[in-house]
Formats: sequence, structure tokens, C-alpha cells
Amino acid sequence: MLTSQNGAAIVTQPMLVFFLLLFTYPLWADAVGLYNYLGVEIAIFVLYALGYNLLFGYAGLPSFGHGAFLGVGAYSYGLWQLGAYPHVFAGLLVAVLSAAAAAAGVVALFLSHRRGIYFALMTIAFGQIFWFLAIRLRWLTGGEDGMLNILRPKLDLGIATLNLSSNAVLHYLIAVILAAVILILWRIVHSPFGTALQAIRMNEMRARFAGYRVWLIKWTVFTLSGAIAGLAGAFLAMTQESAYPDVMSLHASGFVVMMTLIGGGFVSFWGPVVGAIVFILARDVLGAATETWLLWYGLLFMAVMVVEPEGVVGVWRRIEARIKRPASTPEQAKREVVL
Amino acid sequence: MSPARPFFVAENLHKRFGDQVVLENISLNFAQGTVSGIMGPNGAGKSTCFNVLTGLYKPDRGRIVFDGEDITGLSPEAIARKGVSRSFQVMNLFDEFTAIENVMVALPRVRSGLSRAFWDIRGDSGLMDEARDVLRRVGLRGREKTLAADLPYGQRRALEIGVALAAKPRIVFLDEPTQGLGADGRANLADLIGELKRSYTLVIIEHDMSFLFGLAERISVIHWGQVIAEGTPEELVRNEWVRASDLGKVA
Amino acid sequence: MDFLQNLLPHLLNGLALGLLFALIALGFTLIVSVMEVINLAHGSFFALGAYVAMVIINPGLAGGGGLGDAYMTLPLGARYVIALVLAPLLIAVIGFGLELLLRRTYGKKKEYGLLLTFGAALVLEETIRLIWGPAEQIMPTPPAISGAFIAGDMIYSIYRVYAMLAGAFAIFMVWLFLEKTPYGAIIKAGAHDSEMVRALGINLPRLQMLVFGLGAALAALAGIILTPIWGLRPHVGVDATIPAFLIIVLGGIGSFRGAVLGGILVGLAVGLTGAYASDWSLLSMYLLLIAVLTFRGRGLFGKKTALEA
Repeated sequence: MLTSQNGAAIVTQPMLVFFLLLFTYPLWADAVGLYNYLGVEIAIFVLYALGYNLLFGYAGLPSFGHGAFLGVGAYSYGLWQLGAYPHVFAGLLVAVLSAAAAAAGVVALFLSHRRGIYFALMTIAFGQIFWFLAIRLRWLTGGEDGMLNILRPKLDLGIATLNLSSNAVLHYLIAVILAAVILILWRIVHSPFGTALQAIRMNEMRARFAGYRVWLIKWTVFTLSGAIAGLAGAFLAMTQESAYPDVMSLHASGFVVMMTLIGGGFVSFWGPVVGAIVFILARDVLGAATETWLLWYGLLFMAVMVVEPEGVVGVWRRIEARIKRPASTPEQAKREVVL
Repeated sequence: MSPARPFFVAENLHKRFGDQVVLENISLNFAQGTVSGIMGPNGAGKSTCFNVLTGLYKPDRGRIVFDGEDITGLSPEAIARKGVSRSFQVMNLFDEFTAIENVMVALPRVRSGLSRAFWDIRGDSGLMDEARDVLRRVGLRGREKTLAADLPYGQRRALEIGVALAAKPRIVFLDEPTQGLGADGRANLADLIGELKRSYTLVIIEHDMSFLFGLAERISVIHWGQVIAEGTPEELVRNEWVRASDLGKVA
Repeated sequence: MDFLQNLLPHLLNGLALGLLFALIALGFTLIVSVMEVINLAHGSFFALGAYVAMVIINPGLAGGGGLGDAYMTLPLGARYVIALVLAPLLIAVIGFGLELLLRRTYGKKKEYGLLLTFGAALVLEETIRLIWGPAEQIMPTPPAISGAFIAGDMIYSIYRVYAMLAGAFAIFMVWLFLEKTPYGAIIKAGAHDSEMVRALGINLPRLQMLVFGLGAALAALAGIILTPIWGLRPHVGVDATIPAFLIIVLGGIGSFRGAVLGGILVGLAVGLTGAYASDWSLLSMYLLLIAVLTFRGRGLFGKKTALEA
């Protein structure tokens, strides 16, 4: 289920587990052979994938150019820190607003009346345009060499000043914002808006005849999802202290789709979280062992699509079902056959 | 029986696809608080007619007036918001939602609460009761938590009507509700519609007159894209056009 | 006159490019209309076809004795022709294999199929990198189609004329396939899952496999012809896929005319901007697309189809 049936608690068990791991990460990362920078990256991609899944898993709109908004966020954060007023929250806000504006004002205007394959192909086209501009507008973005020397400004909270040049401190900042986004998204998916998104995924026509202005809802979710990508992009620029056009390429946009799906984004709120963690860890572990880690990851991914397209969460659910209810009801048995 | 004022009126509707004329000069009039039937053989233009009336297609010519308001050419969602609800001939449910979620999504309260991001609709007991009540009306009590896809065929048909009713419509269009139902299913459905006609204005497409006979006050017969006959069931049985077209063999 | 003369080579370049783009797009659109799958591995077939052809032309067998030596004594032209036929066939076989996997996703969410092909694209591209390395390779061409010729005041590349003719010929063959075979009738009707298929007694799984293989082979063929102009890198597949996607959207999904006309339009747009602002030639493609879609939501020849559901 993408939503829980009995009304959702503000904080759920999986959420507590995730928050616990997230906030304690800097304490045990070293002990298990991981490092703080990796935790920051994972948190950023979890954020990105969660926002993406609102569009992909909930509304069923397959965007293959989502990297554009990550990139717009990263560049606008960078431009702001380099040129205007180096302040963390101001930069984040600028990034979110520019990504949202790019998504809402440009792409979503063209896309909100599209469906299925036309939607997917047009997102590819728009994604390519942004990627192309990022490479060509050298005076603005630095082209393929990237935008360098982006700041991690000190964050003055009144009671204390955080030095974000430490990866551990940066991790806590991102963790707090990620946790807030998760709490908000969890509310949204259980709200009328989140329910309408799913209704549109299942049956757009029916949703229209139930009185929903489907194009407006699509426009809104695209914008929202783009804004979250922009936030993730700003964090990425802050973390890397630079921004590159790579994240906007078709491949990079495909990776977020992979993350979302391999975890089980179609069947669970937590799918993209699991998927982003698996992706970054696979990159690190496989990447350390072999230069062609993408080959092995690609094969793994193909196997998932063929054997269990509902991803890690899908497998987990099956195991859970077998342990908990050995004697399944006829309805469950029927569903298992379908799986 | 005759209405105090026109309720849902279509005047001189024309619709064609390419060079094929599907509806030609169709005029219909559905009175408030009544059950109207639209009959005709397959391919006569009945479904296209419904699709034009509910906004899926725009008519090439003609006018549709609902409760004094011109709704010609409005989008399906705009027409739905004015209180026009419909079911579909081909099953059209939210399959991965449970029965109660299907109904809930169609409740006007939910639709108009889109901006309330912190409203947990599944945890709102008042809203759930409202949805449960709709399910009870269409005979789906106890199936609240079953996925729409897992419901047996007849219950899916009933849910289809439930979703239409959930919108608190002022008029309900039912497109071949008996499609695919056996004798028992038809009997149940006839009971259900008999029940509903007390509180709703209904328009039902059917190609089987025996089903409409006991339910509809007035029936329009559509053939070759035109209304070839109109009247009470008793009048239609005597109508030579209807006899000739083999639709009236019930009596 | 001067102006025209300066422009003509760019027009011809654009046309050659456009015909080959159309070829890629055709294979892609065939797959979309029969299997309703966006094949993201299409560019990989393009690249792999070129690499395989390169190996067939120059397998480095000399000195190995026997058959190998005999093969290497064949003139370059003969080996090129062998590669032109054999490489697309080999890629078609790989296409068959991918279709067999893809079959597991039919009837499920459409995104699963699309993502399976994305995985395949990664695997194929990385395999190319693994075997041939990341550096740019040179695709050999026989002397008969190399060099330049002079027509009036203009010097023009023979290879580009060859590319144009080869592209046009391949497009013509696809047209014959669509017009003259029962498979073609089904593909055109977009009726791959209908009474019509059963009435004609056609084996649907076989049709799907055939079409996927054909699409892959067309991409491979385009790869062999285009890479002497573009250069051969592992990433070259992406350079080819992006225009193909745009062309499909531009011409309308599932439309033969749309793919060909869209291909030529995009080719010309790229060719002409190449004449004046080569840095921006790719952007013209995107702008063309947006312009068309603003006025015609489903592209030039697109019909409303089940693909949007």
C-alpha cells in the first residue's frame, strides 16, 4: 500500500527506525566502514527520490528528465552563494524557488495535459534542453568544467553557529530538513491531494468525471516534485562545493527512476528510501571492487524488473506474508499468484 | 409527472467523427425526480450521446442546459462539479483502491479539500461514515476494505454506481449498468435502481427494454444517431418504429 | 547564388543526417506501436551495431592461418558489405534476447518494460566500455565510398551521398515491409492485440519478437552508417537516441510518415544551424520540438492511442 488504511499516525514505526539510523549515522558510520560524506550523499538522494516518487509512484507520471530540477537547484544555490548573499537558508530557498519555477513555469505547462508515453518522451526532451543549456551557458554555469568554489557558509542559529565545513555537521542539517520533508510528505500522501494523485494514476478519466481538475493536480505535483529536487540539488552543490551538468543528463535522470523503482516506489512510501540507499551503497561497494560497477548494477536492476518489479519492499512483503500468515485467505492466495 | 421547469435539456445535438455522423439532431429532456431511459441497438449512438451530455466530447452543434445553466462544451470535470454524475459501460474503477477509498475519492468534500495537506481523510471518522453509507446504499456493506480489483463482477458494477452516487449528484447517468450481469445480478440491480429512484434523477442507457420497462417513466429510442421514438414504455411498445426495429419484443 | 552555394552542403548534410535519424526513429516507433515499450536500449543497439561491424571488417585474424587469413585477404569493400549485413543480424539476435526478458513485463505496469530497457542500456554501454575501452575508435570505410567529388563549384563528401542513399534505401525496405506483408498491416493498424491478429492467424509472440529484432537491426544499421561521420565512442548511442526520441514525439507516436518526415526535419534543423551556430545546433532540435508540440499536442501525424492511457 502506498497509503495506510486506518488513518495514518503522525509518526510511524518505519519512520522512527529511519530517523534513528539517520540521526545516529555519524556515530557508527566509521565502525562499519562507512564515512560521513556517504551519509550526506545518501540523505540527499533519499530526499530527491522521495520527491520524485510523489510524481512517479503516486501520480504515475514517469519523468525521465527530473535531473533538470536537481541541476537547476544546484546551480541557483551556487550562483546565489557566489554572487549574492551567502546564507544557507536564503540559498536553499532560492534553489527551491528556481527549481519550482523551472518545473512549474516551463515544463509542467507543457506536460500537464500529457499522459503515458508522450509524457515520458517530453520529459526526456525537456531534460535534455536543461542539460544542454547547462553545458552551453558557460558564462553562467561554467559549462562542462562545472561551477566551482560554491560555499558552505557558516550557519548562525542565534544560540550556536554551525560550521558546515564539517561533513558531520552538514549531515545533521540535511537530516533535520529531510526528516521534516518526510513528515510533510507522509501527511500529503494521506491528504485529499495525495489520494487524488493515486486516483489519477489508476484512472485519469474517472478522476475527471469525479470532478477533479486533473491537469491542475498534475501541474501542482510536478512543481512540488521539482521543488524537492531543487532542494536536494542545493544540498548536493553545498556538499560537493561545486555543481556539474552531469546530474542533468539522461543517465542521471534514469538513475533516480531506478532508485525509486528498485526499492519499490510503486508499492510503498519507503520504496525510494530503500532504493536510494541501495543505489549509493552499491555504487560504493561495487565501485570499489570493479570499475564497471554500472554493468553489474544494470544486470541486478534487469533481474529485479524481470523477477520482482515491486522491488526490495515487494520481496520484503512476500517474506513477511509467508511468516505472518502461513494459512492465507483465498483473496491473499489469489494476489500471491498474481505476484 | 411533467416537470415544473426544464431540468436537463439537450437541444439539436450534432456530433460527428471525421465524416461519420454519430448524432444527428438529438433532443432530449429529463425531468427532475424521474427515471429516464435511453434505448437503442448497439452502435446506435447511445454511448456517444452520454459522452456528449457529460462533457467528454463537445457537440458540433446544439445546446445542453442543466437546471437553467448552459453547460455546452464544458469539460467533464466542470460538468461533474455542477452535480452531473455518471457510471461507465466498461468498468472504470480505481482498481488499486479499496471499495471505500473508491467512494471517498468521489465525495465532494474530499475534492474541495485538495489544499488541506494535513487532513488525513482515512482517519476522519465522519468522512468514513459518509463513504460507508454510500457503500451500504449500493449493497456493499462489509466489503469496505476489499480492493476494487478483487471484488466479484456484480459488486464491481454496484461500486461503479456507488462512485457515481458519492459525488452527491443532482442527476445520475448510468451507462448500460446491466452489462455482463446474469439474471440474479439484473434483478439485484433493478431493486437497487428502484430504491435509488426515490432520491435521485436517473438516466439509464439500456439496449434491453425488459430491464427499463419497470423502472423508467419515459424512454427515448435512439437509432442511426437520431431519436426515432419517445414516450412512456407503454406508448413505445405500440410504436411502429420500435416494433420494426425489434426492440420492443418484451410486451 | 553564393548564398545558395554555401548553404547547399549544409542542406545535404542535414538530409543525410535526417534520413539516418529517421531510420533510428522508425525502429523505435515500430517497437513502441507493437509492444508499447519505450526502448531506452535503442541507442545501445546503434552503438553496439557499429562496434560489431568494426570487428567484422577488421577482426585482426591475419597470421592466424587458415580461414582467418583467407578472410583477411578479402578486399575491404567485401568485408564492409559482410559487416553491413551480418552486424545488424547479430544485433537483432540480441534484440530477440531482450524481448524474451521484456515479455515478463507485458501486462504489468508499462514503466517496468521501459526500465528494463534502461537497465539493458546501462549493461550494453558498460559492456562496450569493457571490451573496446572508452577511447574513440575509427570505423573503417572502403575506398569506393571515401573521398570527395566535385560538382560545379562544390566539393562534397562521397560518403555522405552514400549515407543518404543507404538511409533512403533502408527506409524504403521498411515501407515495403509495412505495406506488403500481413505483419505490416497489423503494425499499421496498431491492432496488435485484437481480433485482427487472430483472424489473420498470426502468432503474436513471434510478431513481437520479430519487430523488436527488426527495430534493433535498423538501429544497428544506422549506427554502422553514421559512426564514420560521428566517430565511435561508447557513449555514441545516447547521441543517437535523443534525436530519435524527439523525432518520435515530433512526428507522432506510431506514425511511419511522422518518423520519416520528423527525421528529415530534425536533420535539416541540425544541419542548417550547424552552418551558422554549430554550438547551438542541438538546441534547434529541441526548439523545433517545442514549437510543433505547442500547436499540435500529438506531433505532426500523431493519433490518440492507447499509449496515453
